[in-house]
Amino acid sequence: MALQTKIAQILFGVIDELNELRPTHEHLKKDLETPLSGDSGRLDSAGLINLIVVTEQKLAAELGRPIVLTDDRTLSQVDQVFHTLGTLADYIHLRLNEDNDE
Amino acid sequence: MMNKQLCTCVLVSDFNLQNFSGYLANDPEFPVIKPVSAPFGQPIATLLNRELPCWQNTPDFAVIWTRPHSVVSAFEALLNYETVSLKNILQQVDDYCALLVNLGERVKYALIPSWVLPSYRNLFGMLDMQTEIGLTNTIMRMNLRLAENLEKATNIYVLNTHDWIAQAGAQAFSPKLWYLAKIPFDNEVFKAAVRDIKAALGGMLGYARKLVIVDLDDTLWGGIVGDAGWENLVLGGHHHIGEAYADFQRALKSIKNRGILLAIVSKNEEQVALQAIRNHPEMVLKLNDFAGWRINWQDKAQNIIDLMTEMNLGLQSAVFIDDNPAERARVKESLPEVLVPDWPEDPLLYPATLFGLRCFEMLSLSREDRDRTTMYLTENKRQEFKKTVSSLEEWLTRLNIQVQIEELRLANLQRAAQLLNKTNQMNLSTRRMSEAELMAWAEQEHCRLWTLRASDKFGDAGLTGIVSLEIHDQSAQIVDFILSCRVMGRKIEETMIATATHHAQTLGIKNVYARYIPTPKNRPCLEFFKNLSPQFRQEGDCFVREEEQAFPVPEHIELVGS
Repeated sequence: MALQTKIAQILFGVIDELNELRPTHEHLKKDLETPLSGDSGRLDSAGLINLIVVTEQKLAAELGRPIVLTDDRTLSQVDQVFHTLGTLADYIHLRLNEDNDE
Repeated sequence: MMNKQLCTCVLVSDFNLQNFSGYLANDPEFPVIKPVSAPFGQPIATLLNRELPCWQNTPDFAVIWTRPHSVVSAFEALLNYETVSLKNILQQVDDYCALLVNLGERVKYALIPSWVLPSYRNLFGMLDMQTEIGLTNTIMRMNLRLAENLEKATNIYVLNTHDWIAQAGAQAFSPKLWYLAKIPFDNEVFKAAVRDIKAALGGMLGYARKLVIVDLDDTLWGGIVGDAGWENLVLGGHHHIGEAYADFQRALKSIKNRGILLAIVSKNEEQVALQAIRNHPEMVLKLNDFAGWRINWQDKAQNIIDLMTEMNLGLQSAVFIDDNPAERARVKESLPEVLVPDWPEDPLLYPATLFGLRCFEMLSLSREDRDRTTMYLTENKRQEFKKTVSSLEEWLTRLNIQVQIEELRLANLQRAAQLLNKTNQMNLSTRRMSEAELMAWAEQEHCRLWTLRASDKFGDAGLTGIVSLEIHDQSAQIVDFILSCRVMGRKIEETMIATATHHAQTLGIKNVYARYIPTPKNRPCLEFFKNLSPQFRQEGDCFVREEEQAFPVPEHIELVGS
């Protein structure tokens, strides 16, 4: 399975977990276009923190590749990285490929 | 009074409970909870200020979840490895408990998760269990003191946080969530907490299960007794699977000792199965551990219905355990009220699966609980005796029934509250109240509440009835009319009516009425009032009696100490 597809699947699993914390009418869609942060985003600050922590946990567990999403590099471009589920997937893909290059 | 579908819960903490609140609010299991968050990070100020909006309108319950050093400052000093006397720490625990005890007046129930330390706070492991030095030693003592102090409060319960930590595993403490959001625990801890709290609420609302029905072959023992013979069953001995079956039986026996009834529904030849139970030397459970059984080749769902009818229990009281997925599916589909847990294929997992069921919660343990199986076995003798007499009247007369009537007082409060909160069938209004609420209600000048203990020549059934009366201007309302299913149909019901009407009569009140509040389970109470003789007149949902004379006590009942 392509890494990009695997990352998307992991993020959909993250959405499942986040939805357990949210009332049904506020559930996030498992769709790469789903807005997360920023003006059109569906997550408040606590939601964003949960997204970050659960994503890190699932990436480590399912890919065996720890990735830190609370570093300055990520947080300095938080609105871009967490704009949608798709932008987050792209960013994770980029970071994992960087690790491969090193 | 807590008998509604939606329970309000005040959350008080020194840390961010937003995730816990989310799980609590969105968990679909009954009862649905509406969390109300107290001001963030101010547990002591919140406990002290009863005028805060979160305490208004008598919330159903509160969860007060703190980290130990936030409410016991002396412990914070110990965390910094300063020298602190244990006495000083425990004094501060006492002070904190005094605040918690006051909560009992503000909410119906308060749940206090015990204190835990992050597992990574174990730098000096060899000193950790030493008195006055070790952090874990001190936390254990603090939790014990917390539990001992709060035991005296009738509606405050300490919950075991360590169990939630263990369920969450190595990730239970989350430094990441702490530094980002002031949440000390991983979400798995909160999920485990919600499961336990929901189970506790189920117990408070009278939805705890009372009976475990087990299959025999490959459930209580390994093998098919009809094929292999009882001598060749896998049970006990020096065999890992045999040991697991024996341990499963021990687990069942242990919950029986807490008042949960056991019964058998099995497809077998009855005599063959009973012979195995009587003769197998490794059987932990004996025949007198079972309150009843249906061992035949009939449909198990029908057998369960028959058994529950015989035992006067509603289907919602039962758990059905069977190794066979087809039998489980059949019972689950035809009797949705019966809890049919998914059961592992591996017998080694049976004991842990039983202990993992969260459906037996009870607020207290009474003598009636400990003796319940004996009482059901005695009931079987009573029914056998019934077959030897010619009429119901003769049977009732020869039972030599005595009823002792007492007003509500501290000595019978715990059992009375338990009966109030657990009884579903013969229950007029299905009020659910804590001990404190019940006593406060009964102490009002215009209210009276009596408890009834029933015994006969076969034994003492214990405190099994409650009737209460609320006096209005020229009328008296029977508010609670509750009788344990174990003693229904012996005209103790009529004795309860007599008790209430007698009191009304002494006050010169002729008009006595009972308002029936229907639930899915209390139809037996409606049938009783409809068929009562001398009659009560039915007016809508009320049953009314307007007589100068009190309702007669049935002739076969001897009143003791009324």
